[in-house]
Amino acid sequence: MPFLRFCRAFLLRPLAKEPVRAGLTALAVALGVAVVLAIELAGRAAAGSFHASLETLVGKNDLEITALGGVPESLYAQLSSLPYPLHLTARMEDFAVVKPGGEVVPLVGLDLVAQAFDREDASPAQETSATPLARSPSPAEWNASVWVGPGLARAPGEMLRLQVNDSEADYRVAGVFPGNSDAPQFRRAVVMDIGLAQRLLRRAGRIDRILVRLPAGQDAAKFQALLSREFPGLLVDRSGARTNENRKMLAAFRWNLRLLSYIALIVGAFLIYNTISVSVVRRRREIGVLRALGATRAQVLFAFLAEASLFGLVGALAGIPLARVMAAAAVRMLGSTVESLYVSSAPEPVALTPGTIALGLLAGLVVALLSALLPALEAARVAPVEAMERGGREYQAGVRKGRDAAVAVLLCVAALAASLAPPIGTTPVFGYLAALLMIAAAALAMPAIVAGAMAASGILMRRSGLGGLEALLASRSLAASLRRSGVLTAALATAVAMMASVGIMVSSFRRTVEDWMNQQLPADLYLSPAVPPAADRHPTLDPDVAAIVARVPGVSAVGEFRAYSTSYKGLPVTLGVSDLSIVARTGRLNFLSGDRREILSQLAGNDAAVVSEPFANKHRVRPGDSIELPLGDRTVPFRVLGVFYDYGSEAGLILVDRAALQRYLPVGPPSNLGVLLAPGADPEEARRSIVRALEGRRVAIFLNRELRAQAIRIFDRTFAITYALEAVAILVAVVGIAGALLAVVIDRRRELGLLRFLGASQPQVRRLIVFEAALLGLLASLAGLAQGILLSLILIYVVNKQSFGWTVQFHWPLALLAAGLSGVYLATLLAAVYPARAAARLVPIEVIHEE
Amino acid sequence: MSVLRLENVSKDYSTGGRSVPALENISLELAEGEFVTVVGRSGCGKSTLLHLAGAMDLPTSGRVWIDGVTTSGLDDPGLVRLRREAVGHIFQSFELLPTLSVAENVELPLLLAGRSGARARALECLAWVELAELAARMPHQLSGGQMQRVAIARALVHTPKLLLADEPTGNLDTVTSNVILLLLRRISRERATSILMATHSLELIAAADRSIHLRDGRIEPLGTR
Repeated sequence: MPFLRFCRAFLLRPLAKEPVRAGLTALAVALGVAVVLAIELAGRAAAGSFHASLETLVGKNDLEITALGGVPESLYAQLSSLPYPLHLTARMEDFAVVKPGGEVVPLVGLDLVAQAFDREDASPAQETSATPLARSPSPAEWNASVWVGPGLARAPGEMLRLQVNDSEADYRVAGVFPGNSDAPQFRRAVVMDIGLAQRLLRRAGRIDRILVRLPAGQDAAKFQALLSREFPGLLVDRSGARTNENRKMLAAFRWNLRLLSYIALIVGAFLIYNTISVSVVRRRREIGVLRALGATRAQVLFAFLAEASLFGLVGALAGIPLARVMAAAAVRMLGSTVESLYVSSAPEPVALTPGTIALGLLAGLVVALLSALLPALEAARVAPVEAMERGGREYQAGVRKGRDAAVAVLLCVAALAASLAPPIGTTPVFGYLAALLMIAAAALAMPAIVAGAMAASGILMRRSGLGGLEALLASRSLAASLRRSGVLTAALATAVAMMASVGIMVSSFRRTVEDWMNQQLPADLYLSPAVPPAADRHPTLDPDVAAIVARVPGVSAVGEFRAYSTSYKGLPVTLGVSDLSIVARTGRLNFLSGDRREILSQLAGNDAAVVSEPFANKHRVRPGDSIELPLGDRTVPFRVLGVFYDYGSEAGLILVDRAALQRYLPVGPPSNLGVLLAPGADPEEARRSIVRALEGRRVAIFLNRELRAQAIRIFDRTFAITYALEAVAILVAVVGIAGALLAVVIDRRRELGLLRFLGASQPQVRRLIVFEAALLGLLASLAGLAQGILLSLILIYVVNKQSFGWTVQFHWPLALLAAGLSGVYLATLLAAVYPARAAARLVPIEVIHEE
Repeated sequence: MSVLRLENVSKDYSTGGRSVPALENISLELAEGEFVTVVGRSGCGKSTLLHLAGAMDLPTSGRVWIDGVTTSGLDDPGLVRLRREAVGHIFQSFELLPTLSVAENVELPLLLAGRSGARARALECLAWVELAELAARMPHQLSGGQMQRVAIARALVHTPKLLLADEPTGNLDTVTSNVILLLLRRISRERATSILMATHSLELIAAADRSIHLRDGRIEPLGTR
């Protein structure tokens, strides 16, 4: 094809002459694509597994019925006797810890008698996919036997040691049920008889979930409404509702990560823009000649777009396998975050599907084409005569900087307006827009900033001799090539801004959480079942533990806390039950408004609740409102007395008094205990005494400071991935700077050769290039820091607040910023090493005679 | 003592693994204040000769003395030092740095050498080429002749003993070329600076103290073709 031959001659050959520079641009794109794709893949693998959790062990059902604290067995009996053709399956659901090893696996209690009867009329297909048991158990096996998935690699007859809540025991493996590719977690589940599960989980008389299968052709919505009406205390949901709830919860988390990952791609876009711009400037004369020889504007435009597409395509192709590697690392970080903050899950394997490969290719190509569009259009507008004039291009870049700065101011105003707009649902669409507008404004303002800064630094260097001649030449050179230096500074500044803003946001959040924990954790010791923590798992302690601990010498009071996972208006939430009179006496619950003592005194024994800030923000609940909680056999309105600061759960926490809840539900054993010691008692000694008193039980005992340290560890682990994303964005920018400095060396080789004629030594030429990088790095760091501070305000007060509902106090992480900026600066200087060496090695007598 | 002496100098370049002679057995001497032109067709070795004379390159064989110092055996810092002290360059395309003002361009060799009093000396040289009033201008604000005079001021700013000029009037009209010619004559006479100049200009050849004719890398007696 003539056009392809033209592209090969006009574009590919020049690129092949500078393989390092072309390679660095493609590498920048590859890193950008890789990080975007890795976050997508890791997000799916880490979060995608939750939909395959407990509820997928049930086979195909239409409705599911749950209730706070479990469905009373009496209601199950009533449901069974309804005159409707419903097929009911009762289930207990929790988690067990496999010993030794400590793997947390789903634990399911099934009515094995009913299952055995069901099986007789089930088809073989249903046996393997709809129900876990391939073989009917004998009643004698039920009380000490379990059936396991193939993933646990146990053979029938082997013993399996399991910890359920705080008790450990051995169970005989009675059988292995078949695997199910649709539910990976199913492969590692443990099934036991419902009666045994109820006993172990201390939920006698209660069923966790009732699965309802309707006859074919029946309307599920009709039955959902019917059952909800007849049993107001029950939560009747369509099958899979919990998956959707969790999906909604995770959406904000994943969106924020996704957007952070796109920053690396944006930095890559700046660099493609720069590469194509350099191409256009360098080949201006050639473009003029081509136009004079009959090339159309469209041909020139498509030629440069083809060059950009090549970078996009090569970058994407290299980025896709890189993403696979990065995703494997990211999924470990994300998996633990999802587990700690959202829902029990086990990461699925990272899978590169045709869809994700297409996403990677699309991201590379779209970013490449969009970023190349402006310089390509500019190339198409080159008039044959104009192309023969040297220096015209830089002149244009110079005169446009005022106009661009004015547009930047307008974009800043638009960003401010967007930051004040409310979210759409719980998605801070306008917050994201404000951040993007801010980045665009900074990029547009950069030529003016570079020109101003270089003029000022030129005067300073001239007068003070600071940095010597090389620094002065570097500063003049940057000011003279605003198009190039502006884009490079913008690229690096964007990466620095991301680092600074996320750093400020995370450390502000961390400090806020630390302050909150200092206020909110008044007890000296905390006890909970010794199982790995997860946001939706609330294993319980033996009922007698509190009494045992209370008798330990040195213990002055024991507060019990019971947590239930439930949902409110389609979103998961934790209901916390405690003796609020103790909280009023010892706790330091802080409210957004109102008097703490007055609120807590009104709570005691009344149908009233206090809710956490994320809950209030998600559900638009304010003090004085009423929230309806389905309890037992009815729905009970609870008046909201106050909203308290809480950073323990994004889903939100509703706190009610134990005495109030007990009117509707038997509040079972506690999930946690808080132990207050008598004045002067030694916490370490008290812990040893408690350990002795609770010998044989699997209870974790934390000192106050240990609990805080553990929380901070979880916090740090949660945000580790953001630092990894920042590092990639910085790497992309630094790679870009190395490539761009190489271009500078190539473009200015005649000037560098001249300097050697005039007496410059090789070290002086090297220093000149390093000074350019140093000035560029300094300017980008300062501009990026300023931009980052503004972005952090958007992240803290808009994006974070609207996404998660937390109030975060602004905090300056000076040490972190200093370390981060120093790292970036050092990396920028290192990026200049190779181009500087290349500059020093230029042979002056060759370059001075080049045309 | 001669300012420049070349003794049996040859220079070979390697092209595609093949050695191509650029200069063969050249011997040449320039006395103080002497104005010598080098003439010959393109590719005859004029530029190579100037590069060897300016310590920008080393001969394959033979020796070059600049102001009594032989370039052979000098490492890069040594060659740089020699250039800074003894050699000034003038180019056909002026080669002013577009980002620096006229005065900054002129003082550049002194600044690169780390010498003090650069600005005063630059202004002095600009006054000598009668461009003192343009010191603050940028190169793109000058005419071609003015740019070459600035380039001459830059070449003189560190008072070199040897001035090397490669086609200094090649990009100028006749009137301006004459101005440059007069300036170069003044340099050799008033400042006793030796000039070795590659040129095609008959006026420059006529104005020189003597001319050497290069053909295929060898010196030919004038008049032989």
